[in-house]
Amino acid sequence: MSVEIRNVSKSFRTTLAVEDASLTLGDGSFVSIVGPSGCGKSTLLRLVAGLMPPTGGSIAVRGAPVKGPVRDIGMVFQSPVLLPWRRTLDNILFVAEMGGRKPALWRERALELMQLAGLSGFEQSYPHELSGGMQQRASICRAMLLKPPLILMDEPFGALDVITRERMGFALQTLWNESRNTVLFVTHSITEAVLLSDTVVVMTPRPGRIRDVVPIDLPRPRHADTLRDPRFLELSERVRDGIEAQWVE
Amino acid sequence: MTETLAQRLGAVLKPLLGFALLLLVWEYGAPLAGIPPYVLPLPSAIGQRFAETFSVQMHGLAMTAFTTLAGLALALVVGVLLALLIIYVPVLGSIVTPLLAAFNSIPKIAIAPLFVIWFGLGYESKVLLAFLLALFPIFVNSVTGLGEIEADLIDLSTLAGGSKWRIFTKVRLMNAVPYITDAVKVAFPLALVGSIVGEFIGGNSGIGHLILSGQFNLDTPLVFATLLSITLFTTLGIGAVSLFENAFLTWRPSQRKR
Repeated sequence: MSVEIRNVSKSFRTTLAVEDASLTLGDGSFVSIVGPSGCGKSTLLRLVAGLMPPTGGSIAVRGAPVKGPVRDIGMVFQSPVLLPWRRTLDNILFVAEMGGRKPALWRERALELMQLAGLSGFEQSYPHELSGGMQQRASICRAMLLKPPLILMDEPFGALDVITRERMGFALQTLWNESRNTVLFVTHSITEAVLLSDTVVVMTPRPGRIRDVVPIDLPRPRHADTLRDPRFLELSERVRDGIEAQWVE
Repeated sequence: MTETLAQRLGAVLKPLLGFALLLLVWEYGAPLAGIPPYVLPLPSAIGQRFAETFSVQMHGLAMTAFTTLAGLALALVVGVLLALLIIYVPVLGSIVTPLLAAFNSIPKIAIAPLFVIWFGLGYESKVLLAFLLALFPIFVNSVTGLGEIEADLIDLSTLAGGSKWRIFTKVRLMNAVPYITDAVKVAFPLALVGSIVGEFIGGNSGIGHLILSGQFNLDTPLVFATLLSITLFTTLGIGAVSLFENAFLTWRPSQRKR
């Protein structure tokens, strides 16, 4: 088991952001958490990373209980958070330097990842010379550089336009296919969640609760045709039902 | 985008042309307007006086440059250290910041005579005055540059295994460099004001002293010639900072080639 979340709760003052969440992520699985804004999905992600302590329950990453920031986790945020003074290749190698590793030893892998992400030729460009989609692909390459066993992604495509977003999904699949890390992916796009994941977790807000866990049995690799597969539509419907159930209550 | 030679030449020649035009109007316009030379000496007279007093000028400039740069260097060290203190020890920050702000509201020039009493007529009082005038802009910009880092970036660095020291050297310090070079551009002329005011109040050396002796003897061309020396010095100083920025801060929006 890569990540084990047991009866985790988190409250901020009077609001209950996450209530009694339990979830297990197998090694190398791609799990999405989907739900509307304010359902506690980002909070759950930060709890797994150990960036804040839960109010109740416990989390273990690769068997070790989480107490404080977990080292060697890849992280992708909604904004690319690239360093403006570093060229793209050096931005990807940044995590190697932070971990006290020799960046020269990771250069080869960084170049490979950049090629897979369609960033060849932009190694020496500064972030401001890249488009938003390219910046975000660079930040995904950075998260994957050290082959971390676990990557957390917090709405990584949230700031991109719809067309770029769809392409980014496939780019992510290509990159993930190469390294097969365990991925915990937070999104509010049902399509994105179903297309990319092995498991989709549906969360509903106030208080943030896990409403449904949907296994996605679509064959891999998935491509544009998958979006028209009846099974894809069926699974998307189930996820949507989970999200909308709360409005009916 | 590479500039053509003609474009580059034009960028240098255009301001020079404007300057030459101003000198011409001054040289031939002032006598026509009936302005006496002890009020506004002609550029030719200023140039002549500058040439005559060149060695005295450079000697005075050396002294003033020393106190200015020493004060500036001291302000850089203390300003950045104070900024670090505020960022890493917030409790101390809440004590130091209001004190500094209150202190900054006192016009430093007004307390300059005190420094002469405390530290004498030597270079110490001038360095201190230059330091005090330069300190605040450097301190304020360092706090912004070292402190305003995206929280996501700190989280990402921590999760990658970054220690506090590595985050400091590779993120905070790098982020602060352009803020500090900007601050130096403001603080450098301020430090010079501190030095010159120090020389006005006491002592017998430096550019400030030269200006005063020009005033006593109603030697207006000497005063203007000394101003020319000062301008040369500030131009060199700001030029050095700009050269640094052009060489190391090519990623900055203001340094981007259009």
